[in-house]
Amino acid sequence: MTLVGQGAAPGAGAGPAAAATPPRPSGGFRNLGSARWRRRNLTFDKISFFGVFLVVPLLLYVAFVVSPFAQAAYFSLTSWSGFSPEIPFVGLQNYARLFGDDTFRRAVGNSVILALVLPSVTLALAMFFATLVTVGGSSRGNVRGLAGSNVYRIVSFFPYVIPAIVIGLIWSQIYDPNSGILNGVLTRLGLDRFTSFAWLGEVSTARLAVMFVIVWGLVGFYMVLFIAAIKGIPAEIFEAARVDGAGRFRTAVTITIPLVRDNIQTAYIYMGILALDAFVYMAALEPGGGPENTTLVMSQQLFTTAFTKGQFGYACAMGVVLAVITLAYAALVFVVNRLTGGRNEVAE
Amino acid sequence: MTHSLSSVSFDRRNFLRGGLAAAALAATGGLAGCATSGTGPAPAASSAAGPTSAENPFGLAANSSTEAVIFNGGYKTAYAEFAGKQMEAKQAGSTVKVSPATNIAQTLQPRFVAGNPPDVIDNSGAGLIGINTIREQLADLTDLINAPNYEGQKIADTLYPGVTAPGTFDGKFVQLNYVLTVYALWYSASLFESEGWTVPKTYDEMYDLGGKAKAKGKYLLGWGKEAATYYQTMAIASAIKQGGDDVRLALENLQPDAWSMQPVQDVLNGFKKIIDAGYVKPGGAGTQFTAAQAQWSNDQDFLLYPSGSWIENEMKSQTKSGFKLTGAPEPTVTSTSAMPWEALHSTAGEGYVVPSQGKNVAGGKEFLRAMLSKDAATNFAKTTFSSSIVKGLIPADGFGSTALQSQVKMLDTAAANIFSWNFVDLYGTNTDQLVLWNSFLQGDSDVATLTKGLQSISDKIAKDDSIKKVPVS
Repeated sequence: MTLVGQGAAPGAGAGPAAAATPPRPSGGFRNLGSARWRRRNLTFDKISFFGVFLVVPLLLYVAFVVSPFAQAAYFSLTSWSGFSPEIPFVGLQNYARLFGDDTFRRAVGNSVILALVLPSVTLALAMFFATLVTVGGSSRGNVRGLAGSNVYRIVSFFPYVIPAIVIGLIWSQIYDPNSGILNGVLTRLGLDRFTSFAWLGEVSTARLAVMFVIVWGLVGFYMVLFIAAIKGIPAEIFEAARVDGAGRFRTAVTITIPLVRDNIQTAYIYMGILALDAFVYMAALEPGGGPENTTLVMSQQLFTTAFTKGQFGYACAMGVVLAVITLAYAALVFVVNRLTGGRNEVAE
Repeated sequence: MTHSLSSVSFDRRNFLRGGLAAAALAATGGLAGCATSGTGPAPAASSAAGPTSAENPFGLAANSSTEAVIFNGGYKTAYAEFAGKQMEAKQAGSTVKVSPATNIAQTLQPRFVAGNPPDVIDNSGAGLIGINTIREQLADLTDLINAPNYEGQKIADTLYPGVTAPGTFDGKFVQLNYVLTVYALWYSASLFESEGWTVPKTYDEMYDLGGKAKAKGKYLLGWGKEAATYYQTMAIASAIKQGGDDVRLALENLQPDAWSMQPVQDVLNGFKKIIDAGYVKPGGAGTQFTAAQAQWSNDQDFLLYPSGSWIENEMKSQTKSGFKLTGAPEPTVTSTSAMPWEALHSTAGEGYVVPSQGKNVAGGKEFLRAMLSKDAATNFAKTTFSSSIVKGLIPADGFGSTALQSQVKMLDTAAANIFSWNFVDLYGTNTDQLVLWNSFLQGDSDVATLTKGLQSISDKIAKDDSIKKVPVS
């Protein structure tokens, strides 16, 4: 990379420096070219770097992320139907309605349950498998994974390659009460109570069945993520631990997990966001919200409210609540990680 | 000499952290999904209407173009293209553009907001625009049905009775429902014939038939999770036949005790007896609805299925050969019901609307006039095995379809005893009601729970001031 900041005012941004220097750098390639030679701190490289990597993304971000968010937040204060040019302002009325809406409250409850359970289960499993595949092998010779670990690694990644909607459709067939493979196997084994058993239709099993599918679909991806992180730890550390007499479990808990802590935090947030959304899986498995609405999630309720019931304003209020819950979740993960001493354990 | 980027106080960790928070924000796609995609409204002026005449009753401007967006579902869109050709032939110089769409609400929402909707829309399918949200932006179609058709006859005189009712709100006729749908209890005539069974006319007879079916290793009824409310449709029809028009009005107007009325309760109790006897194929709450329907039409695991007349088209490729699909009116509770058993729940579906903000309102109406012409309507019946609302176009052999034959026969015997209702679609309550019906059919909830749940859904709408009500009388 070409020199940046040498001899220039600290933190020289493109803006002020450019303003002080006629001709303005926005004039075109030729001007930029000459400016490059006159002022070392305003090189073409630098301007184009800021332009391409900061200004353009920032504009895109403002246009496609910030402004829709602001719009949605505004619409949440209206009773807009979604199909008319009139957008009547109603203040906080939608939010007041949300608190009294028992279906939405149930959806929030379901989403929160998913956000609490899914990341823990998925990441624990992923970490378990990643450890086995990287450092869980024979205790003689080099630190290595189980025999055939490359095969496991590839196979376990397969579900992630399949689009989520396809996973949902496949599993809705597997769970089919009368022709699904699951009940086929169970009844063949002599378990007659599973004849025509509706896994996705019984209050007692619907939520678990759906969560299983999501875990199944994502555990491979997080396993590969953790494998990459564990591979980044020098083998000497594991060898030293082994020499000191640490077993596999002890090594995993005191060596591996603290050293990949940042990766776990990141994975936890991503997985939590996915769990709070879960729209695609639910749309395929439980489009109607499941038995007694036990699998209804916020994003589904939002979609129905907007497009079926034609209440975009109200739906936007749901969107705002979902966004707030998501951000609160991310903040919670940061705080927990910080409180348990996460910050300074790992060098950059 | 090289400096790393981080030397200009560019803390990579903080940058990544910020990026993560941004990702968290971006992932809440539901929020961004609410935003509009266009700028403010720019209502397009309708193109000036030309002079009207008997051949051109809406004053279609010369050489104008008309845009039609047609729901691409079970009926496909070829029949609409056929009508477009008819219109181009009739109104020389005019052009018609027919575009298919599968998700009407999401496809057209931005165009309604921007004030330039298409000239005519087939507002149908699972993703239709709730009529209550746009009905004030639609043109009145009364002049359409008062106009002469392409054969010179007044259109209103060529239609089945009552077909404009479901498209009329607060006295304004804004939606032309093109396809005549008959709701019935469908069965295999060949199976019933070979077993010597007769179609049940009351819930008690249904119960008896359930016992006979059980003896043959079959179930009486079955359902799929997305279509559990087909049984609600049947129950409401039965209750209206049993108790008369008061039941319909109470439900339509969301009255506080509508679901507790005696006829409704009698129907639900009669049905509950069938469920408790184990005559309903279990597992429906976890079965995709077309898979469940195939258990009936292909595997013949159960005998009767309540549905609309679209069922023939929907299951065409999954119906056992020699099935002889035939419909019968829904059962009543007793033989002394307020309406005879032959009374029929029939309505028109596939709602065509002409937005009043469209560029060519006259073109939209002219397109519908072409659709209602004898040629286009016959073409529709022949290619889709469904009846349009234009009467008298289906030959006795029903183009070779037993279902179509029985449909015409049911309509003829019902004569004036035809009814329908709107409140489920109008207020979009189906999703909430599905949950209750899945539990009920599964045998997990009793009549009291179902009644309470359905009533609270109606009450919720009735009490919500932000939802415009359509009074029915």
